[in-house]
Amino acid sequence: MTRSVFPGSLLASDGPRILFVGGKGGVGKTTTASALALELARAGRRCLLVSTDPAHSLGDIFGVELTATPRKLRGGLHALELDPDRQVVRYLDQVRENMQGLVRPAMYHEIERQLELSRQAPGAVEAATMDRISQLMADTVRRPRGEGDWDVLVFDTAPTGHTLRLLSLPEIMAAWTDGLLRTRQRSDAWGRALERLSGGRAAEAPGEGDELSYIDQVEEGGGHQDARSRRIREVLLERRRKFTRARRLLLDPAVTAFIWVLIPEKLPILESEKAIRTLDEHRVPVAGMVVNRVLPRGDLGAFLESRRAQEEEYLARIRKHFSRIPRIQVPLLARDVEGMETLEQVGRILMGGERGSPPPG
Amino acid sequence: MTPSRDEIKRRLEHAMELLREFYEGRHRGALARSRRDEDDLFMLLVLSESMGIPNPASYYTLELLPLVMDRFHEWHLRMGMEHSPLDGFRCC
Ligand SMILES: Nc1ncnc2c1ncn2[C@@H]1O[C@H](COP(=O)(O)OP(=O)(O)OP(=O)(O)O)[C@@H](O)[C@H]1O
Ligand SMILES: [Mg+2]
Repeated sequence: MTRSVFPGSLLASDGPRILFVGGKGGVGKTTTASALALELARAGRRCLLVSTDPAHSLGDIFGVELTATPRKLRGGLHALELDPDRQVVRYLDQVRENMQGLVRPAMYHEIERQLELSRQAPGAVEAATMDRISQLMADTVRRPRGEGDWDVLVFDTAPTGHTLRLLSLPEIMAAWTDGLLRTRQRSDAWGRALERLSGGRAAEAPGEGDELSYIDQVEEGGGHQDARSRRIREVLLERRRKFTRARRLLLDPAVTAFIWVLIPEKLPILESEKAIRTLDEHRVPVAGMVVNRVLPRGDLGAFLESRRAQEEEYLARIRKHFSRIPRIQVPLLARDVEGMETLEQVGRILMGGERGSPPPG
Repeated sequence: MTPSRDEIKRRLEHAMELLREFYEGRHRGALARSRRDEDDLFMLLVLSESMGIPNPASYYTLELLPLVMDRFHEWHLRMGMEHSPLDGFRCC
């Protein structure tokens, strides 16, 4: 097995530290992610397997109960299921905390109402999910392999649409913060021009620490206005820093590998063609594909032989359409994939170490 | 009696001072207004979801909400509305 090409590259000592496993619903994402994570752990990586699918099934495949806190599955392998609701609550608590001293107490009630409303607002769960993913990615790559909590993160993602939206969030949101920052810049520029004209009279900004102590008078050009502007800018810049960091990590093929799972059937292929195009547009590096549930070799009987003829057409289409992307095939197994043993078997097939895996097509 | 040179100079200086104040006052007003418009725009962008404009970033605007609430209140008073014009957003 060469380690410079997919899938061996995933196990290389300088392989990607973040893996995303995506695909249409039901094609084998959770199976693939789990099997890969087991292989990584076997290769000595300390691996965290993370389910981002709101309809979690990661715990089921291992036959254990998972929560948002990492649980040890075996040496070198932990797993968790993201809990975006908990994440939203935490974020709202933080907003509440930060608002102390910024807002007249008379407004607390309305802000509280807004916070409650936004808990159910569309997009909140996705934003919270992406925040958590970004945080995990940043925490992981901050430390060299072997030194931080995890050497590699494996994300078992939700079906296509959800995941594509998720991955495009940092880009869209960075554009949004930039837009807001531009209006702040223009406001500041007017403010500076105003100062020059008034001979520097509006120039005094309050020292650090006593910011916003005189919040009740709202007046143009006043010192507290500057302090507030500064705080707004800080909040926006911090947000933008997080979005650009997430985006940088997602787009760096040395850091992140996106693995696309599909099955040789018409609709999954069509959906994959679209999805890969979208990923390309967003410049997310697709490291390889897993063509799952390919009918095994050997005599299958007349009925399945006819299916196989049909499947051959689909496999040809996959070869043609995804010629640029390295692919591995995983045969349809006699039974569902559940428990460590079967997952290990799939892992070996994925890594090309077991016969029964048709050669890369 | 014709005014002395010094007197003329003093009057001229006075006139210039008045003119400068007039001129700067106008521009100061214009600059302050520009800044105010920009800040209003920012506030409205942050509150867009409350105004019924779907904003995919509304989750992230929450942390800015406390920073623009005062401005919203001041804005609707300035616009001659005694109370918040937004059903979904009451500040007073
Ligand atoms: N190669 C295979 N052979 C036989 N069964 C398989 C194979 N791969 C996956 N399965 C079975 O197919 C079902 C779906 O697999 P899995 O849960 O991994 O898909 P998924 O893409 O994660 O689904 P979802 O979109 O619902 O999260 C499971 O019951 C799994 O055991
Ligand atoms: Mg799944």
